[in-house]
Amino acid sequence: MRFSTRLKFVILFISIFCISPAHAQNAPGVYAIKGAKVFPVSGAPIENGTVIIRGGKIVTVGANVEVPADAQVIDAAGLEVYPGLFDPFTQMGLNEIGQVSATVDIVELGDFNPELVAATAVNPASAHIPVTRASGITHVISAPGIGGFDQSSGGFITGQASAFNLAGWTMDEMQIRRSVAMVINWPSIRTRSFDFATFSFKTKPYDEAKKEYDNKINELSDWLDRARHYAQVKEKGSPSLFERDLKLEALIPVVEGKLPVLVVAGEARDIRNAVEFCAKQNLKMILADGSQAFKVKDLLKEKKIPVILGPTERTPDEEDMPYDQQLTQPEDLHAAGISIALSSFGTAFSRRLSQYAGTAVAYGLPYDEALKAVTINAAEMFGIADQIGSIQPGKIANLIVTNGDPLEIRTEIRYLFINGQLTSTGNRHRDLYEQYHKRSQAGH
Amino acid sequence: MKRVAGLLAFAFALLTPALASAQDSNATLIQNATILTITHGNIEHGSVLIQDGKIAAVGTDLKAPAGATVIDASGQFVMPGIIDCHSHIAVEGSVNEGGPAVSSMANIADVLNPEDISIYRDLAGGVTVANILHGSANPIGGQTVVIKLRWGKSPSELPFQGALPGIKFALGENPKRSNFQPPPGIPPRYPATRLGVEEVIRQAFTEAREYKKQWDDYNQRKAAGEQNLMPPRRNETLVPLVEVLEGKRYVHSHCYRADEILMLMRVAKEFGFKVRTFQHVLEGYKVADEIAASGAGGSTFSDWWAYKAEAYDAIPYNAALMSERGVIVSINSDDAEEASHLNQEAAKAIKYGGLSSNDALKLVTLNPAIQLGIDSRVGSIDVGKDADLVIYNHDPLSVYAVVQKTFIDGQVYFDRQRDIAQRPELAKEKQALIDKEKKAGEEQKKAAEEQKKAAEGTGKKPDKKPEQKKKPPTEIESHGAVAGGAL
Amino acid sequence: MKIRLKREYIVLAAAMVCAVGVLSWVRAARGEGGEPRYFAITHARIVPVSGPVLEDGTVVLAKGLIQSVGTNVSIPPEAWVIDGKGLTVYPGLIGAGTDLGLPKPPASAGGGRPAIATTPTGEPILGPEGRPGTSPWRVAADEIKIDDKRIQEWRNAGFTTALTTPDGGIFPGQGTIIDLGGDRAGDFIVKPAATLQVAFTPIGGLFGFPDSLMGTIAYVRQVFDDTSWYGQAEPVYEANVTKFERISYDRTERAIAKAQSRNEIVLLPANTSIQILRALKLTGEWKVPAVIYGGQQAYAVASAIAAQKMQVLVNLKWPEVAKDADPEAEQTLRDLRFRDRAPSTPAALAKAGVKFAFYSDGLTGPKDIFKSLKRATDAGLAPEAALRAITLDAANILGVDDRMGSIQPGRIANLVVTDGDIFNEKTKVKQVFVDGRWYPIHEEPKPSDKPGDTKPESAGTSATAVHGEVGR
Repeated sequence: MRFSTRLKFVILFISIFCISPAHAQNAPGVYAIKGAKVFPVSGAPIENGTVIIRGGKIVTVGANVEVPADAQVIDAAGLEVYPGLFDPFTQMGLNEIGQVSATVDIVELGDFNPELVAATAVNPASAHIPVTRASGITHVISAPGIGGFDQSSGGFITGQASAFNLAGWTMDEMQIRRSVAMVINWPSIRTRSFDFATFSFKTKPYDEAKKEYDNKINELSDWLDRARHYAQVKEKGSPSLFERDLKLEALIPVVEGKLPVLVVAGEARDIRNAVEFCAKQNLKMILADGSQAFKVKDLLKEKKIPVILGPTERTPDEEDMPYDQQLTQPEDLHAAGISIALSSFGTAFSRRLSQYAGTAVAYGLPYDEALKAVTINAAEMFGIADQIGSIQPGKIANLIVTNGDPLEIRTEIRYLFINGQLTSTGNRHRDLYEQYHKRSQAGH
Repeated sequence: MKRVAGLLAFAFALLTPALASAQDSNATLIQNATILTITHGNIEHGSVLIQDGKIAAVGTDLKAPAGATVIDASGQFVMPGIIDCHSHIAVEGSVNEGGPAVSSMANIADVLNPEDISIYRDLAGGVTVANILHGSANPIGGQTVVIKLRWGKSPSELPFQGALPGIKFALGENPKRSNFQPPPGIPPRYPATRLGVEEVIRQAFTEAREYKKQWDDYNQRKAAGEQNLMPPRRNETLVPLVEVLEGKRYVHSHCYRADEILMLMRVAKEFGFKVRTFQHVLEGYKVADEIAASGAGGSTFSDWWAYKAEAYDAIPYNAALMSERGVIVSINSDDAEEASHLNQEAAKAIKYGGLSSNDALKLVTLNPAIQLGIDSRVGSIDVGKDADLVIYNHDPLSVYAVVQKTFIDGQVYFDRQRDIAQRPELAKEKQALIDKEKKAGEEQKKAAEEQKKAAEGTGKKPDKKPEQKKKPPTEIESHGAVAGGAL
Repeated sequence: MKIRLKREYIVLAAAMVCAVGVLSWVRAARGEGGEPRYFAITHARIVPVSGPVLEDGTVVLAKGLIQSVGTNVSIPPEAWVIDGKGLTVYPGLIGAGTDLGLPKPPASAGGGRPAIATTPTGEPILGPEGRPGTSPWRVAADEIKIDDKRIQEWRNAGFTTALTTPDGGIFPGQGTIIDLGGDRAGDFIVKPAATLQVAFTPIGGLFGFPDSLMGTIAYVRQVFDDTSWYGQAEPVYEANVTKFERISYDRTERAIAKAQSRNEIVLLPANTSIQILRALKLTGEWKVPAVIYGGQQAYAVASAIAAQKMQVLVNLKWPEVAKDADPEAEQTLRDLRFRDRAPSTPAALAKAGVKFAFYSDGLTGPKDIFKSLKRATDAGLAPEAALRAITLDAANILGVDDRMGSIQPGRIANLVVTDGDIFNEKTKVKQVFVDGRWYPIHEEPKPSDKPGDTKPESAGTSATAVHGEVGR
């Protein structure tokens, strides 16, 4: 075979690999995105801007930037460049088909599982990953223990959440940080519960429910105390007398205030209780869900608790709440000086993140704040803002190039960069569409 | 004298028309908006005149009749009210009669609840009509009804007058109960496979045919004057199935997999009826031509997927691809919250599959109206149709659009400004009632304590100040709490 | 004649004589043998309900019936005269929905509904032919146990009559009107099969039938269809036994057909305004002589109820927050309004011209009934209307106003005699007459006794009214 033909064949072969969804990432490349309106988030938008990417990182951002000779040039005239969106609360990779338990690894047995780490079981080949990034989400946090759309929640300390990019062959390649927070599913005082044995609702007196709750909190407190003691023994005690405990070991960074606790709580009372508990225990708290956060915003502001809100588009908790309670809450909290991020709390609906942000804008959240709430804010909450969340030199090159406002529903992602790689937006859904589109066209 | 009388009469005759139109208070003119008619294009700086609950005029230079309410909708958009083709709101009790495999005797129309807050919240999302369906626990489920979201009216005022009733079928995983384990002691119910799902339907219609024959025979003979006839039993399970055979009741079938969609078409053909809509129909794109040929509509989700095995092949291009092949497609909610932003869901079909803006809007207006057989009344802004309208502050296909007002039959059923203005008042009323209850509870407690004291004859005087909450411990209090109000 | 008797025999004989004497005396006071049959209460304030109040009247009772009422009536010489000065005489009160005399069903193990309703042979009921929760043939009269202590408690509070109904399921059975006094269960029964009870309870337990409200309503509809069919088919079959296949025996169809032939009222449950409107609609569809029970949100739909000439049994257990509820639980404006306005329902019904009576679902006793009634009168129900609802109108709704519910000649002698206005909580009930049987009520013990103690009955009294608290 002639050399040039072989070369073409190799190039073709490699390009197929490049654009085919399952094999989205190869060796880091050099890119120049030219002539777009660039929205760095960390600063004012840049008209006719250029972004240079090299070695997985953003190298340069500006209006009159010299394009390196070895760069692959993306002509982005008429297009817009944004940081890739960040969904900070999902079960991405842990959940394939909600009602098929073999494909679900979200909820482990037992109440106290601090040593579990989401990254352990994230499936890099999940079909949800290409589907989600095709809508502009370039990186997520996956959290164990809390259900999305179909799953029940379970456990108290459910494990550690992991942050990773939505592209890569293995978790090692995808990982941004293996452990970003300890997830705590805050218990509620439940006077009414569904009993599966008799398939009916059961009520119990408030005092009894309160006592059960108190017992649970005491147990949590005991765990933390034991973790402190364990840390002390580990550091100062005799090695021969030291018995390793994986669970307590996992809690050491928590009690030392180095690893934040991601507390999942929606009801105002639960949030209050959690904030007070974490303050007393000197834990660094991030609130997730927060459906009634507005009721305790003064407390959240005072204690500087950042909030990862569940989906903007969800039903108000109480019948008498205004119909737009959840839609206006992002602005409500932001106006109160609370740091907020938006999330999907799911997997299959992660691609709605921009829709949630857009709707928050429709109901009062300033546009720039909404953009921050899906890019940089969550990164700051988890201490990874030095790596990700805005278009600045030195940060991971997670970028989206769009044909318009990324929060608008109709907007398309034209180019997708994850970890500095041009990544295909191909995914299962587009493949099925193209496949069956052919069926219609053949013989009709 | 006669002259004066004549003059007076003349003057009165002149006044009367003016008086009459001054009474025209059921007229509303929405003016200066972008009118999305759906059927005949968009009208910039347009107006819609509503009279007696109907659309009386649509155009650019409409004048308000005297006495009409005028709404200045400059910069805003008016579209037809959204029609949700798969809804479970406004139902008292469970939406599933899940015990038997065939529960067609159950009827949603028997349990409509106009006080469900979801009605109001969906109005706030621009929904004016909803197809209220039975759940998907049975291959053949209960009877269904189309309603207008007339929040605040009585149950008998909810149903959409003139809309044909429906019945819900369900195929696939839900009716075969493959995704959950009933508690111990509950025996499994046939069918447990898709094979059995088909048979349940065939069996039921076989019985329905027999039943119809029995009754036709009886009625004939009775009419001919024959005596001593044994009447057949009336069977509420089979009556709605006979109505399906007679074309008087629409079949709305929940389905996912392409093969089961084809299965139902085959069964329907065997028994001589038509499926009106395939609901969810997430694999409809795989057999779009067959669905188009059958005349059935497809009512699907915008982008739900992967929650069940049969939803794993669902794609957001479903609506567009089926539409392309000639299926009348609607996008529905199956969820009260989803129903409050169906305009956004419709917009997804532009991105996924390239539908035009107007075709996208059709997915939640004219198309579901056609599917439900009510398109002569609703689904577009045309003269003569019901004044079911929504005013948005932006293009409804934009994520930034917020519903300002929702009209049904020309009446405002949702008004965002009014909703916001009423909140302090409602909060005040609520607090007043809470305080009243609390006070009554405390008074009750006090009265009970006083009675107890009197009965025990301790001679201690009750506290003079009722507001004083902290009493010094008395003998009675140390006996423990006396029953009183919890608040 | 000198009779030599052993000492032991004398003692024994004396004891026997005493016993017999006491027993017969007790029996006499309890109405067995030697019971007075004629009474006259003189110079009392008489409230007939069916007519104007007599400030100074006399009522004469003879052999279980009221013989005469008036200001100047002749008193038969046999009559036991009771001086009614300072006393008020009312018709005996009627409770239109109780379970007096019926033993409580055994509590289901573990609480909650059984996982799935089953036939007597243990198969799960998956359709209407399994007749879930259906026992319309049960008549309370057949199951009455007169040693129910509550009967006395109610009687002491002035109730002489009650509708008592079996409980459980969708068609629990037929209610019986009982008078609260007598020697044997049979004495109590006024009207054995008075009402056909219906409850829209989805007893199927989520996998059985029915497990939804609409399924339950559909089932009731089907049962009425089946009964109607039976009514048509049975005579046709009987007249042509050689022509047709035999009709299967269905106890439900027969029992309900029999009840319908008596035009027995059907009690349909409906408490919220939506449920009431639904019940009105279903009544029209099913063409049954229905009476609504529950009715606490009738204040919102009183005119609709009046338009259809429907009658209502109002549940006196007004909605309230549970005592052990979560103090931070959501209170909806809907619930708050309902709790606030429910006691105004009787006044609203009275204003709209709807006939109603009261029942006491779950209230612990007559003391609570009067408390509940007070809330109704505080909310606007005229005391005369309240009285009418627990006397004549209750009798009318239950179809026995030709016999009781008012003080008129010929009516059954069910009376309650008090020392004041019956709705005043300080008023004491002095005597109660049930079917002309006299039940005097004696003084309550002094306050020095501990609450809850019952004073030992002095021999011969058949009634105590000790509750340890002032009033009822």
